[in-house]
Amino acid sequence: MSTATKSAPAGERLPAQKNPGSSGKKLFRKVEPYIWIAPSVILMAVFILVPILSVFQMATSDVSRAGKIKGFNGVDNFVKVINNPSFSLVLKNTIVWTIAVVVISTVLGFMLALVLNNKFRGRKVARAIVVFPWATTLVIQASAWDFIINTDYGTLNTLLMKIGLISAPVNWTPTPEAYFAWEIACGIFVTIPFVTFCVLSGLQSIDASYYEAATVDGAGYFQKLFSITLPLVKSSLTVATVLNIIYVFNSFPIIWTMTKGDPANHTDTLVTYLYKLAFYNGKQGEASAVSVIGFVILLICASVYMIYTLRKGDEDL
Amino acid sequence: MSEPNTALKKPVSVKKVILRLLLYFVVLDVCIITLYPYFAMLCTALKSRAEIFSPNGTVLPITALWSNFIDIWSRAPMARYMLNSVLIAGGSTIIAMLCGIPAAYALARMKFKGQTAFLGVIIVSQMFAPVVLLIGIYKVMLSMGLTDSILGLIFINAAFNQAFTVWLLRGTFMGISAEMEQAATIDGCTRVQSMMKVLLPVAAPGIVTTLIFIFINAWNEYTVALCLISTDGFKPLTVGINTFNGYNIIEWQYLFAASIFAIIPVVILFMCIEKNLVSGLASGGVKG
Repeated sequence: MSTATKSAPAGERLPAQKNPGSSGKKLFRKVEPYIWIAPSVILMAVFILVPILSVFQMATSDVSRAGKIKGFNGVDNFVKVINNPSFSLVLKNTIVWTIAVVVISTVLGFMLALVLNNKFRGRKVARAIVVFPWATTLVIQASAWDFIINTDYGTLNTLLMKIGLISAPVNWTPTPEAYFAWEIACGIFVTIPFVTFCVLSGLQSIDASYYEAATVDGAGYFQKLFSITLPLVKSSLTVATVLNIIYVFNSFPIIWTMTKGDPANHTDTLVTYLYKLAFYNGKQGEASAVSVIGFVILLICASVYMIYTLRKGDEDL
Repeated sequence: MSEPNTALKKPVSVKKVILRLLLYFVVLDVCIITLYPYFAMLCTALKSRAEIFSPNGTVLPITALWSNFIDIWSRAPMARYMLNSVLIAGGSTIIAMLCGIPAAYALARMKFKGQTAFLGVIIVSQMFAPVVLLIGIYKVMLSMGLTDSILGLIFINAAFNQAFTVWLLRGTFMGISAEMEQAATIDGCTRVQSMMKVLLPVAAPGIVTTLIFIFINAWNEYTVALCLISTDGFKPLTVGINTFNGYNIIEWQYLFAASIFAIIPVVILFMCIEKNLVSGLASGGVKG
């Protein structure tokens, strides 16, 4: 090769030498981004994508108690799951749980953010206290609440008796439904900080001049709230709500710590139900079918979120 | 002229005072309710077992039994749980960052085919908590021999925090002008060098925020650990403290004393990033 280039005229040699080099560089330029994202892609593929595929495979297979796949069986697992009388109860619980926690915590969290957005002494401390529960693991919070509402020795009864509001201990959890309501309350309690956080970040980006202009025009508090604040925090609120739907839907520790879904599935949601199916009852095929059902519900939520976020991203550009 | 002015001013200020008082009242109530569970935990952690179950219980412990906080270390392998939690949270943070920084860099600084698709996958995978995929995760871990191991939990936590890491870091990087890096490249730096020497130091606050956030997430993780770990010596704190929450007897005082140990480090870390996280979410997550 060196002899060939030597004999060639200088004018021809330069581009000839440049070409292979730059095309190599071009190729590298094209491939380079994929090298950069490769570790991330591999990590997610192995530990998220493969489990997803595995769940789908098991959902459509006959799986032994030991977890061995014994062959394709179509929708048998789904039929078994749906025909199980407790499944409709579990599905109902999941919907009640998700909607109640998300709606109530969004409303309360939004109101709390409005309050905390005022300027007052100790605002920083108050904000730090309010986001406090977000940093605490759910198991611990759930055990704390479980202890607080206990009939025999719970601190809620002790406290109310000491204040004189009640004279004898109250049974706060007389029925499974009541227990489930307490679990929802606990769920709301731990979800509010996230909503408040997101809304606060939205509120802080609003230019104060909007409010000044509205005040000059004689707008009242609620007028300002509905025509300035709400439209401007709508996007933070939407994202917070969609993320919350997914988090709450998937929430396992609160229910697991307080009732384990007992008695007789009365406080089960899809995730606690599938955990018991898979790891207590050895019905991995059916549990996978429940997973797939949950997965599909979540995927719908996720695609709504994705379309919203990406579209918003384009608008920003 | 001055009279109507003061007359006009007075009712406004009275209204203002009332609103202010109302504001403080609401804020104070919210703070009390928020802190109440922690207060109850602390009080209970300082009581004796007999006092907790006593029919005429008190809110505050009669005598503070600080020994509960010492006893837990001998009643359960608390030190081991703590070490496991540190290893799991630390390990997953390192792996999530090592994989996430280059990916976020590519998304922020390069244009390539499939970029939007990759972003879409990132957003969608952000949606999936490991619970729904638990059976699949168990199966994959089994095939890799990683069930009942700390390493397995490290990988799972890193993977499930990957979306958030990439998303947050991408926002951070995009908020930093590329000019300095370009200048560094002209001076003969390679891409990797310009990233390491120019971009990362500037992006440090965002990186620290992300880092701490993953650490907290991994530290607080419960479900996967509960499912994958069966050997007591590999349990993280969140699962380990349930030693005190037995089938027959619940040792509330120990459970809560141990819980307080599990909460403190996280709360301190969280306070450090609280302010940055709001802006991080706003620039990286919420605004796209």
